[in-house]
Amino acid sequence: MTKKNSSHKSAGFSRRALLQAGAATLGAAGFPLPAIAQTKPFAGVTLRGASFQHRFFTLLQNYIPEFEAQTGMKVDLQLSAFPVYNQQANLELSSGGSAFDFVNVTFILAARWVAAGLLANLDEFTGDPNLTPAEWSPKDFVEGAQVPYRDAKGATYGYSWEGGAMVMGLSRMDLMEKKGLKIPRTFAELQQVCTEINGTDNVNGIVSFQLHHWCLPPYIQGFGGNIFRKPPADIMPTLNSPEAVQAVDYYANLLKNYAPKGVLTYTEDQARQSHMTGRSNIFIHSSAWITPILLSNDSKVKDTSRVVRMPAGPVHDYPAANSQGLGIPKHAKNKKAAWEFIKWALSPEISMRLVKEHGHSSVCRRSVIESEEYRKLNTVNGQDLGALYLEVLGLPAKGDNYMAYRTVKEFPIVGDVLNKAFEQVATGQLAAQAAMNAAQEQAVANLRRAGTTL
Amino acid sequence: MSGEGLVDAERRRFNRLALAPSLIVLFVIAGLPAIYLVVISLTPFQLVNPGSSTDFSSPLRNYLLLPGDPRFVNSLWVQAKLSFWGVLLQVLFGMLLALLLHTQSRVVEFARTLFLIPMVLPPIVVAIIWKLIYTPDISPLYYAASLLNVTMPSLTSSVDFALSAIIIADTWEWMPFTFLMVLAALQTIPEEFSEAALVDGANRLQIFFYITLPFITPILVISGMFRLIDSVKAFPLVFLLTGGGPGSVTEVTNYYAYLLAFDFNEIGYSSSVTIVMLLLVVAVSLGVVWMGRRREAMA
Repeated sequence: MTKKNSSHKSAGFSRRALLQAGAATLGAAGFPLPAIAQTKPFAGVTLRGASFQHRFFTLLQNYIPEFEAQTGMKVDLQLSAFPVYNQQANLELSSGGSAFDFVNVTFILAARWVAAGLLANLDEFTGDPNLTPAEWSPKDFVEGAQVPYRDAKGATYGYSWEGGAMVMGLSRMDLMEKKGLKIPRTFAELQQVCTEINGTDNVNGIVSFQLHHWCLPPYIQGFGGNIFRKPPADIMPTLNSPEAVQAVDYYANLLKNYAPKGVLTYTEDQARQSHMTGRSNIFIHSSAWITPILLSNDSKVKDTSRVVRMPAGPVHDYPAANSQGLGIPKHAKNKKAAWEFIKWALSPEISMRLVKEHGHSSVCRRSVIESEEYRKLNTVNGQDLGALYLEVLGLPAKGDNYMAYRTVKEFPIVGDVLNKAFEQVATGQLAAQAAMNAAQEQAVANLRRAGTTL
Repeated sequence: MSGEGLVDAERRRFNRLALAPSLIVLFVIAGLPAIYLVVISLTPFQLVNPGSSTDFSSPLRNYLLLPGDPRFVNSLWVQAKLSFWGVLLQVLFGMLLALLLHTQSRVVEFARTLFLIPMVLPPIVVAIIWKLIYTPDISPLYYAASLLNVTMPSLTSSVDFALSAIIIADTWEWMPFTFLMVLAALQTIPEEFSEAALVDGANRLQIFFYITLPFITPILVISGMFRLIDSVKAFPLVFLLTGGGPGSVTEVTNYYAYLLAFDFNEIGYSSSVTIVMLLLVVAVSLGVVWMGRRREAMA
């Protein structure tokens, strides 16, 4: 009986509870409680972001629906080709537009945008515990990757999502071993390996691509020179220094004698393809372009490849490093909402998922890169790619920031002149000294024309 | 005023009123941006320094810098070479093709349509096609050469061939334009002239030089002029095939203006380069108009 009553009572309670719950739901829908509103403070906001096309964003788009479900926001992410994006974002930011809530802060434009005050200071977000929990930890980002996004006072205007650490990939170690060649550690050894391998089994000694102002400076610095006298404070170009001339001559000879035909117009994709198919032995570029010889399913040279530090010059060992970051335009309409997105996209959790689920290893979270899982996934043929990546990426932040030349806002002007001069040398139009003298003159004239005081 | 004079005045007034909307639209679409370009060219405007867009302290600065800018001077020279050879080859091959296909047959009609395809393709598609042809790794051209044991240099990164490579691609794209114009002109030549010449004992070559060529010369000149104006727009080919290189071998003026504006942010200086280019194109356009009028006067 008790049981029956109990059952009856239980059934009556259920009906009443159901009615009450229904009424409460309807009431809540009509008059949302503050507690509910606070869980999704940006619900209904459409975030507009832009970047150039990159695997990171292609992968991130798989996770964005989760962010949208968590926050009630909608993310409209516009991805364009690299030059198209840079032009569009440059115009948008420079004209004080508010079309985008978050943007990619392209490495080569970062200094220009930061110096011109076109981006929001992210310290205002990271410094507020209500906006950024302590576990998000801004200091977890690899120091070298964060350098481009800081102004002279140390304020941060971007957080890096991609690190580029220049490493050397060797795709035909089998050929090298047959000839008794070791992995080159110096520029002289690099030239020797290229000489020995080029033409063997139809393999080119080295491959590169058309962005010479990215590939060439490590050689200039390796010989003891630089692009500017003492960047970022003194940006007088030093393109015709004896060291720079020597480096241009050296690198031009490498490409002229040991690279595939047409290498001067090669894109990164073409170079990578030549490398992954074993048609070219050496490729020196950012790790994201080199490690596919070991990690990609398309690689035909997985078993005969090594990825190591690029050779050192007679004076210095300065492999290039860069990064790409996410930032918020100064005049963005939804700054706080945009910060929510950046926080989420660059969180340790998402970074780790990118590594684990997609093998995307060029993330910038130190805690992720140093994790056991990352190490396991990125150790191939006994080579710890993560350790190498972290080592190179962190170099600019140690002591002299040798990548400072690339972060000054005038670099694109000088870089273009350097590109032209290098091509003139590599195609035999001018000798290295003459080309670099002309380049120096042109760079100074162009900088002055652009209003730079030297 | 007489009644006829009044009617004329009314007609002129009506014409002015009827033309006004079109002229206003034309002014807003074409005139205002051009005026803005001229105004900006008088400033040192840089994108990252918005205040510089209203700095008229040295209005002729950009123009005075132009003659001393070796890349600008070189770009004009490159443009001149590209335009001269491009137009010459387009007119020559277009004419030869038109003469070849000026017969009545189903096969020829089909061939005519086929030859028009390059002209209607989007320029970027043309550039991609030629990028594939000029890339040694994947090019059928290089593959064929290797089968014949011929070693070809990389055309787009060679100092000697890079500009020629662009001229060839440009000719392939635009030769159909001249071909079409000449073919239309050929179809207007009365058959009787050739028949009379044949009766008088003239051979094919004489008929071509004394009858056909005088008939199609004005068309050749006009189409050549149009192509000359249009040759300034060879941007996609330069952008995709060579990027202006190697060095500055293929850097035409509009590509240089593009770099100045979008890579270096020097909008003011880039505008002055564009204005000079615009003036040169206007000069050629006036030449076309003048020739057209002269032809009408001669007719």
